[in-house]
Amino acid sequence: MEINRLLGISEKTVKIALKEGADQAQSATFLLDDALTRFANSQIHQNVASKTGGIAVKVVIDKKIGTVRANTLEEKQIQDVVKKAVKIAKVIPSNKDFKSLPEPKKWAPIEGAFDSETALCTPDYRAEKVKEIIETAHSKSSIVKAVSGSFSTGSASFAIANSLGISAWAQISLAAINTTVISEVEGSEGFGSAEQYSRFVKDIDNIKAANEAAEKSVKSVKPMKISPGDYEVVLSSRAVAVLLSYLAYIGFSATMYQDGQSFVRYHLGEQVFDEKLSVKDDAMNPLTLYAVPIDGEGVPKMAKQLIDNGKVSEESICYDSFTAGKEENKSSTGHSIPPVVRFYPYPRPIPINLIANPGKASIEEMIAETKYGIFITRFHYTNPLKPTEAILTGLTRDGTFLIVDGEISKPIFNLRYTDSMLSALRDIPMISKELEQVDDTTAPAMKLKKLRFTGVAQH
Amino acid sequence: MIHGCGTMSLDFGKAALEEATKRGASYADIRIGEIFDEILTVKNGVTEEVTLLQTSGFGVRVIVNGAWGFAGSVDLTQKEVVETTKKAVSIALASSKLKKRDAVLVPVETRKDKYFTPLKKDPFRIPLEEKIETLMTAEQIIANYSDSIKSSSAFFRALREKKLFMSTEGTEIRQQITWCGGGLECIAVKNGEVQRRSYPASFRGNFGTNGYDFFESLALVDNAKVTAQEAVQLLAAKSCPSTETALILSGDQLALQIHESCGHPTELDRALGTEADYAGTSFLVPNQVGKLKYGSENVNIVADATIPGGLGTFGYDDEGTPAKKVHLIKEGLFVGYQTSRETAAELGLKESSGGMRADSPLTLPLIRMTNINLVQGDWKTDEIIEETKKGILMLVNRSWSIDDKRLNFQFGTEIAWEIKNGSKTSLLKNPTYTGITPAFWGACDAISKEDWKMWGTPNCGKGMPGQVMYVGHGCSTARFSNVKVGLIK
Repeated sequence: MEINRLLGISEKTVKIALKEGADQAQSATFLLDDALTRFANSQIHQNVASKTGGIAVKVVIDKKIGTVRANTLEEKQIQDVVKKAVKIAKVIPSNKDFKSLPEPKKWAPIEGAFDSETALCTPDYRAEKVKEIIETAHSKSSIVKAVSGSFSTGSASFAIANSLGISAWAQISLAAINTTVISEVEGSEGFGSAEQYSRFVKDIDNIKAANEAAEKSVKSVKPMKISPGDYEVVLSSRAVAVLLSYLAYIGFSATMYQDGQSFVRYHLGEQVFDEKLSVKDDAMNPLTLYAVPIDGEGVPKMAKQLIDNGKVSEESICYDSFTAGKEENKSSTGHSIPPVVRFYPYPRPIPINLIANPGKASIEEMIAETKYGIFITRFHYTNPLKPTEAILTGLTRDGTFLIVDGEISKPIFNLRYTDSMLSALRDIPMISKELEQVDDTTAPAMKLKKLRFTGVAQH
Repeated sequence: MIHGCGTMSLDFGKAALEEATKRGASYADIRIGEIFDEILTVKNGVTEEVTLLQTSGFGVRVIVNGAWGFAGSVDLTQKEVVETTKKAVSIALASSKLKKRDAVLVPVETRKDKYFTPLKKDPFRIPLEEKIETLMTAEQIIANYSDSIKSSSAFFRALREKKLFMSTEGTEIRQQITWCGGGLECIAVKNGEVQRRSYPASFRGNFGTNGYDFFESLALVDNAKVTAQEAVQLLAAKSCPSTETALILSGDQLALQIHESCGHPTELDRALGTEADYAGTSFLVPNQVGKLKYGSENVNIVADATIPGGLGTFGYDDEGTPAKKVHLIKEGLFVGYQTSRETAAELGLKESSGGMRADSPLTLPLIRMTNINLVQGDWKTDEIIEETKKGILMLVNRSWSIDDKRLNFQFGTEIAWEIKNGSKTSLLKNPTYTGITPAFWGACDAISKEDWKMWGTPNCGKGMPGQVMYVGHGCSTARFSNVKVGLIK
């Protein structure tokens, strides 16, 4: 079994590091088996697969820490990796903030996290499903001009061992599909999109995604322009997921909190959001996509209540062992980034299993309860402007509609929002009872009393 | 000899190309490579991060039945090379079931060549202790400047990429690209007000294909005090007003403006719709080449992979096309794209602009920016300020966002100064500005001839699966009239 091999290599590497003179050592081995079929202009234009394995070795000598990460699992090369890490640790100054690598804690694998059918999915299967998406979208209307998207399948496995006795592993499969449909009438383009995520490729409903994207695309042609300003909005789960994911990124990481950049630091115990808003980070919850029981240091992932009935607190903050060591009486909450994350250079603890509480409404009811507002399918290129006030900016995309007297009226030009989430999420009249998995966030749709728009796009 | 790209690799490369040809590929190429990435971070008095990232492996790209297939692996053995090539062929066959037309490539001259980034001081040969001492000294100057400094950091990063490219057309190119750089960052906090200052640019500094002497030229220690000083001063500064005014951007911010509003929309794959599902498309559609007024007559923008020291400078792209300099915007007119061999053929061009790069041997090359440079103007920098009656000077990026056609943008910077009657007056905090790309560049009325320099961005994201590429932007201070500023309420 792959995972036994990874665990064996990790444990052996720790022993090698100790033999080389390390006081403490940690080894994280990983395997990524990814495949992705991408399509645009209603044909496949990119079809790729890659298998990557590797190791990240951390050695500690007199509180001096050296880390080397290499994409090899060969014993001889791993010995070289350990020697390089030891060499680094011997020459750099000690890190007074470092307390210790984490101690072992009880953990258990998550059942149902890995599906071999998803991990071994073939390019022919993906091509067939893509073909169905393209045909379905085009069959929806003759104004459908182009269908694009991607279908990815694969698996990720990692195993962590350290010199204090940690020996833990995780293995998940992942499948994701997204499609953007472009329609055109008399030179006016309409965009619509849909996406789905699952650990089980059989649960991906490509036809549903194609229908949803095509329908929005067809309805989006010939949009009208409205002025920027404050509007009531109905946000799809995808739009809500973006806002919550950014809030988590700027607010709940111990690194941001300790640097004074997190809004949480300045609003402890306050009713900063609507009391209906509760968000937790819980890797063990079946609703989350990234079902990994341990973090990148082998620490069991602790469930954290990030937002509790609209309030944030010190208990909301997510730590790895290093950031926990910088504060009194803190320990890792299991939020170190797993080694399978490809863009590894600047690690910081971060929640990746966000789940918002559902409400009682449906999207249809939210629209029906809106006299004059905007329906938003998704946000594009969101970025924080001022993390301490949770001010974000971004644009709507792929299906933005005016709501008039409780009904979707007309498509509108995309809008730029610039607003503090401390204001936008302060009054949430309705939350949907349905939750949707959108990458690292499982979110309901929401109606917000007010979102501030500061600009209009040209389409 | 480039390690990992030696005789043995040539044999592996030949094996892949032979296997692909045997299985019906009309074209195939292989990239075999290694990347060494050294990252040093000193933060709040400790060496928080000393990390070496090593990536090696290969990627095989094939055209079979007119469709593309790609597969990569870390395991550089004869057996794995052959198996991975078979996988790429089977993927291409699956792709070919859903093609509208055959992939066609513009020709490129067959070459056997080598390219090395010219270096005075190899950053990988400088002792770790020396680099850390420089970072620690600079960081401590910031930390000790004021009690309001909550966080102080100093960064160094050096990357070396060695790669061998071989194709069934007979091209065989070895390259060794080296870049390095670094920077400073501090965060000042007082009474709930939080301000950040970075030097010389945000997101860990400035980088170039250059030796350790480039890092030394950044003079982090000499610039640490003023970085801290400005962060503290910003705590008491007045907010950027909400108004329409003349906007002067220094090169460090203008670099990102060029990146987002010219670099990405002139990528031909975007314009042809192949990024529609993710990053979006482009307002610069093919039938507008030579027709669309992108900016004022002052605006000339080139994609230049040949300029010494640029972060996007190399010998050949990952299709074997030699580095080039091509115009994207000429005297304000949109005149060309960044292309690949395939997209160039699709547009009926004779040759590729040489923009295809992958961020690792294991990933597929995409059209990536090289160095997208705004050609210098004829103003002195002081004159631009002196001849501005009312305006705002903004420096060093803090936030960025642009729509999926690259038209509506909004940027925030770390610091700004109010300009009144030709002089810098009040310091302004939380500056932001917004606009629509052609209107904004159309309002460019002054570009400096004096402070033109290269800015390196090592973190440009694109594609699915996501890739991160190092790209460069050359520019100098420039002025834009009637820009909407002050978006934070």
